Amino acid sequence: MHSLTILVVDDDPVTRNLLQKRLVKENYEIDLAENGVAAVRQLQKKRYDIVLTDLKMPGGVDGIGVLETAKEADIKTEVILITAHASVGNAIEAMKKGASDYLEKPINFDELLMRLQKVRNTKALIKNASDLREAMNVTEQTSAETIQHLELLCADFQARLERIQSILNDTALAPLERVTRALEI
Amino acid sequence: MIKIKPDEIALLSKYIYGISGISIDKSKAYLLETRFSKILEEEGCSSYTDLYHKAKGDPRKRIEHKIIDAITTNETLFFRDGGPFELMRHKILPELIDARAAKSAGSPNLRIWSAAASTGQEVYSIAIIIRELLGPSKDYRLKLLGTDISDAAISQASYATYNKFEIERGLERSKLTKYFTSAGANWKINDEIRAMASFRKLNLMAPFTALGKWDIIFCRNVAIYFTLEDRKKLFNRLADVLEPDGYLVIGSTESLTGICPRFVPKRHLKSIFYQLK
Repeated sequence: MHSLTILVVDDDPVTRNLLQKRLVKENYEIDLAENGVAAVRQLQKKRYDIVLTDLKMPGGVDGIGVLETAKEADIKTEVILITAHASVGNAIEAMKKGASDYLEKPINFDELLMRLQKVRNTKALIKNASDLREAMNVTEQTSAETIQHLELLCADFQARLERIQSILNDTALAPLERVTRALEI
Repeated sequence: MIKIKPDEIALLSKYIYGISGISIDKSKAYLLETRFSKILEEEGCSSYTDLYHKAKGDPRKRIEHKIIDAITTNETLFFRDGGPFELMRHKILPELIDARAAKSAGSPNLRIWSAAASTGQEVYSIAIIIRELLGPSKDYRLKLLGTDISDAAISQASYATYNKFEIERGLERSKLTKYFTSAGANWKINDEIRAMASFRKLNLMAPFTALGKWDIIFCRNVAIYFTLEDRKKLFNRLADVLEPDGYLVIGSTESLTGICPRFVPKRHLKSIFYQLK
């Protein structure tokens, strides 16, 4: 499986770089944004599998703004929020708006990696389901063409049979005439 | 997990057939285990026979409803298999509107029934097409009904709210933003589209003449779960409630050959629809 791309959004340079270092080591592909505004700019340029964003950030765009932009850009992007203990309530509100998870500060890396693994598993399942559906679509379409062709063919034969039957039963015609006409159908 | 015994397969298959008309072939008995093990657990049943007796003995039919919800397949999409909807847009609706307008001076009646509505995607796809083609409903009187045997499916259809997996495929972005409003992680159909449709529970094995006559019937991918005999009966009864110039749309891989000679198949573009002979 290809490595997932993650956008890390945090106004604290120490956290940002620490996250980058740890996640690159785990084979994730990382981009950084130093605040919400930069994240929005980045999300409009590039598609991410996961956005890992601080909830509270200075400037006009906070974690919720990043979440909304990410979901708008690509509904398949999963957003994980990082929050101080005091604002867990806000994080839960954010999950109602489509965030997939949240982490409390200080970040426990084992926990973060576990959450990311969960997202990775879910994405793999979704891909699998969508591949299956695609395969089903192709099968369905091909069989539909065959079945519809046969359906029309059968209906045509049925109509011809009925015409033949009515001619053969037509007592107004001489027997030989009936057979001749029936054969023409 | 509690294993299902051969005599229990027979017992439950017969029971399910009785309450839903769904015929479970012996080769698909594994379905019973995969789909019912959760109910077994929830109801604290010691065996499948126990589940059967509990379901039969429940006058409020709560377990029966659970069993129906579990055994029915709700694989459906918005605009699933584009063909029928293109057919509606370019052929059936324009023809029908012309025919009905010629018949009566007032605004024409349109009666459309989705006989296996599942969670409502087909009905709302039809509603969206009608809305796009005919505009707001001042020039026509619409009856758009979705029925399904599953309570859970009907309640989701009525609730008109879908999660991202349900809307992700099949629905163009432009339609999503136009006809849906985001509700947290979900999407809700706008009121103007929601108001066009109604839903109710119906077992297709039970009589449905009381619903009246229909101009268009969608009966897609449900008869495949019935026996050949029941399929014949069903399509014959559908023929009874379809207007003489009405339209029947079935699943793209279904066939009526040898099932109901009262219908003739007709092709338009890449799709087939049926009309009475």
